[in-house]
Amino acid sequence: MTDETATTTNSVSLDAEGLASSKKYNLWRDAFARLMANKLAVVSLVLIIVLLFLALFGPYITPYDFLSQDLDARNQPPSWQHWMGTDNLGRDVFSRVVYGARTATIIAFTVVGISMLIGVTLGSIAGYAGGKVDEFIMWITTVVMSVPAILLAVVASVSLRPPMGRWMENMYFLTKIQIFRQAYWVDLVLLMTALVLVLWPTYARLIRGQIMTIRNQNYVLAARALGVPTRSILIRYVIPNSLGPVIVAISAGLGSAMLTESAFSFLGIGVRPPIPSWGNMINEGLDYWRDSPHLLIYPALVLGMMTVAFSFLGDGLNDALNPRQWRD
Amino acid sequence: MSIVKGSNSPTDSTLIRVESLVKHFPVRIGAFAETKATVQALNGISFDIKKGETLGLVGESGCGKSTAGQTILQLHRPTSGRVYYQGTDLTQLKEKQLRPLRTKLQVIFQDPYSTLNPRMTIGTAISEPLQFHNLVPKNKRGERVAELLKIVGLNPAFATRYPHEFSGGQRQRICIARALACEPDFIVCDEPISALDVSIQAQIINLLQDLQEEFGLTYLFIAHDLAVVRHISHRVAVMYLGEMVEMAGKETLFEKPLHPYTQALLSAVPEPNPREERGRQRIVLTGDVPSPINPPSGCRFHPRCPLATETCFKMEPTWNEIEPGHWVACHEVTSPDVDVQSVLANRQHRIDYKEKLKAW
Amino acid sequence: MTPLLNVKNLQTRFKSRQGYIYAVNDVSFHVLEGETLGVVGESGCGKSVTMLSLLKLLPPAARIEGGQAIFNGKNLLEMKTKQIRQVRGAQIGMIFQDPMSSLNPVVKIGVQMSEPLRAHLKMSKSQAWERSAQLLDMVGIPEAEARLHDYPHQLSGGMRQRVMIAMSLACKPKILIADEPTTALDVTIQAQIVDLVRDLRDELNTTIIWITHDLSLIAGFVDRVMVMYAGYIVEEAPVDDLYDDPRHPYTVGLFGALPEIGSTGQRRLTTIKGAPPNLESTPTCCPFVPRCGYATDKCHTTNPVLQPAPDAADPNHRLACWVDIRERRQA
Repeated sequence: MTDETATTTNSVSLDAEGLASSKKYNLWRDAFARLMANKLAVVSLVLIIVLLFLALFGPYITPYDFLSQDLDARNQPPSWQHWMGTDNLGRDVFSRVVYGARTATIIAFTVVGISMLIGVTLGSIAGYAGGKVDEFIMWITTVVMSVPAILLAVVASVSLRPPMGRWMENMYFLTKIQIFRQAYWVDLVLLMTALVLVLWPTYARLIRGQIMTIRNQNYVLAARALGVPTRSILIRYVIPNSLGPVIVAISAGLGSAMLTESAFSFLGIGVRPPIPSWGNMINEGLDYWRDSPHLLIYPALVLGMMTVAFSFLGDGLNDALNPRQWRD
Repeated sequence: MSIVKGSNSPTDSTLIRVESLVKHFPVRIGAFAETKATVQALNGISFDIKKGETLGLVGESGCGKSTAGQTILQLHRPTSGRVYYQGTDLTQLKEKQLRPLRTKLQVIFQDPYSTLNPRMTIGTAISEPLQFHNLVPKNKRGERVAELLKIVGLNPAFATRYPHEFSGGQRQRICIARALACEPDFIVCDEPISALDVSIQAQIINLLQDLQEEFGLTYLFIAHDLAVVRHISHRVAVMYLGEMVEMAGKETLFEKPLHPYTQALLSAVPEPNPREERGRQRIVLTGDVPSPINPPSGCRFHPRCPLATETCFKMEPTWNEIEPGHWVACHEVTSPDVDVQSVLANRQHRIDYKEKLKAW
Repeated sequence: MTPLLNVKNLQTRFKSRQGYIYAVNDVSFHVLEGETLGVVGESGCGKSVTMLSLLKLLPPAARIEGGQAIFNGKNLLEMKTKQIRQVRGAQIGMIFQDPMSSLNPVVKIGVQMSEPLRAHLKMSKSQAWERSAQLLDMVGIPEAEARLHDYPHQLSGGMRQRVMIAMSLACKPKILIADEPTTALDVTIQAQIVDLVRDLRDELNTTIIWITHDLSLIAGFVDRVMVMYAGYIVEEAPVDDLYDDPRHPYTVGLFGALPEIGSTGQRRLTTIKGAPPNLESTPTCCPFVPRCGYATDKCHTTNPVLQPAPDAADPNHRLACWVDIRERRQA
């Protein structure tokens, strides 16, 4: 008797009681809180912020210019004047490492940015269109992914350098803009092209996978049943729910791009000296490792630290954003 | 924009008319996504649903009842067949033309946990149809959402919360509120209570019935729980492996089932009455439900049917109106007076475990 | 008669992020040899956790805080892993709800079935294989010998559950615990399985503990029923008595919520208002109070104790409630 008549009103008051414990809730705030609680992720985040800071302002605040040579003070071990010692040309290793941060950051963010753009576009089309379009795009990604990254980079680099060089010369001739004079931009662009070529299929597949998964989720079906237009489904349903893995992939990609760039520079097909990148510093340092190990250690250490930092941040973001963590 | 009207004009009270609805799903495997097999989920079902009534659709897993619900709403496009809503043929409409009609044809799914977008507040979720179908001007939407939440028995203050903060029963109420926001005529309830606890199920059933009374809703209630279907439906249809085997008014179906499968189904349902249950002789079917990819020939039920004959193996039975309002698809049922019950009781092949155990 | 299994004051809790989840609170019950006990409750009431505690099959976050479980003269809760392993399968068997995840998908059925036979009964490979075929035949699987070479995904849900039953009975355990074995199955398959278990029970005289949320399902084949809520036993009685004369408001509510297939379908189901409880604290009052239509002052202050129900038809009818709802319901 009491139960029947009071079903509606009683559920109202009881529902209120049932949820009294949880305060007003915000998705992103909760994710942020979870991220902050993860000590490893916080440390990584701090390191990355330091990196960005150094990339932006570093070369202006280092004690020495990264190019200036002091031939009297070659291969000096770390001292108070040179915190990380000097290299074989007397350049201050610390300043060069800091400049290397700029190189690494430019490359990493540009490469990941462009790869994401290409990958997300193609991946979204593939995921939503399905059928032959999807198959074709996947076929392309498979082909690209099956070529070894380094081989791809070397081929791209070697074959594109001469025409690039010529084009740069013509541009300078036409416009007289200094930038075209500097050979190292060619290096940079070629390197980034190669890296983008290598990286975009991963993102395409990731996005496609996410879209296909979410497309089949019950809540998307429910939205269709409500008559929500396709565009809105993409914006309100698919994208917000696929953000998690995408953000993680971005942070992992940044670390990966840095590492790959270093590998290429190490091999000589990336950024060429005298412009410092951690990779080419390691390469140069190899020759002197027996007598002056600091030339090798510092750039390697910093590279390793940043890669790990990105990795941990990625993990932390994954945990923070993962809906499975939520009470269910 | 052409809207095809039904040829034989239905009576005013028929809201939904389904004619020979077929839905096959291709199974694509291989690098080039070739179709290797076909899941014959629906193999030609036909029925009417009248305004204001609840048609219960029962069957076991693989019978195609969920597919039926979704295909009727054109969430899957039928392979063939027609679905008429108030005379309009939905199968002929393009998605764009269909969209405005979707407000009238709503659905409540089984799993309240996955049918709400985890990244949207429930207030936003409920106001979506209001927004996209321009049902309510922007400044009035909040009010309407609050109203809807109250109707389903939830505190309107919860509109700013996210789905995971609610229990299963509450989430189902939210889904119901969302369906109601569209001001529908017809709601497909696809196993709306199966995922809920028993004590909550009763709340939702009562809520659905109250809403039907208050708003004059028509339901297609899909479930596997026969007791619930009996409680809430006016008429009941039984499906097996993509086809309809029997349909009748509630009382008729449960008191005088004619199809052997219906008999077995009803016989298998336990009742909370210990003395009766202990003495009860069940009609236990042997074997498992065959796969819809490879359905049996002729009558799909014949491998498990104690009454099966040569004809059943060769020919598919027709969907006959044995008596007014009572439809059956069975070769052996030729008139409403056929006493299937006793024939079944005599002929069923039940596994005698006791014998096997004696050897053990 | 000494019970085969005697559980006293069992207490189990889980460690969660915020604190503890009190899953099983002061649960005491017994099972006599050859009887079938039904354990009824909704999700979160502690019925599964109780049984898993007995066999030490709990996840790492769980802790058995107290109590004893005397089986065959020994306390199961105090056993070391090696000892309890000998009990599992051989003395007390268990079958679970979802047969797909209870069977190893990458191992053939025959191999999985042979495992307990070889471990407990020390059979050789070929002997175990032969016995497995016999067992499959016993539970009604056609072409048993051939099925041994199949993988779990090649069988249907009903078949897999039969395999589970066969496996659990392989070593002829004294007690079989069935944790919602038919919940995931269709109703006709459910009828088959219940049939099977009933016959097995009759022939082998196995003691069965059947966990379920479905009061209708067990009506026909259990001897006693135990109703659980929020980790407590709220009512316990022989089956006829419980269905004739349920005394606890929760039990009454459960019955009221059942749409009966045999009935003429009354207009409204009686519901239990509110939602299942939050188990994050042990209540100092009756755990059912927020949802109870009969709660008195005493219910709000003291947790009821399981005692014999007043004027019950059967002396074994126990009840944890301060209120005699018979009077209230007349009103």
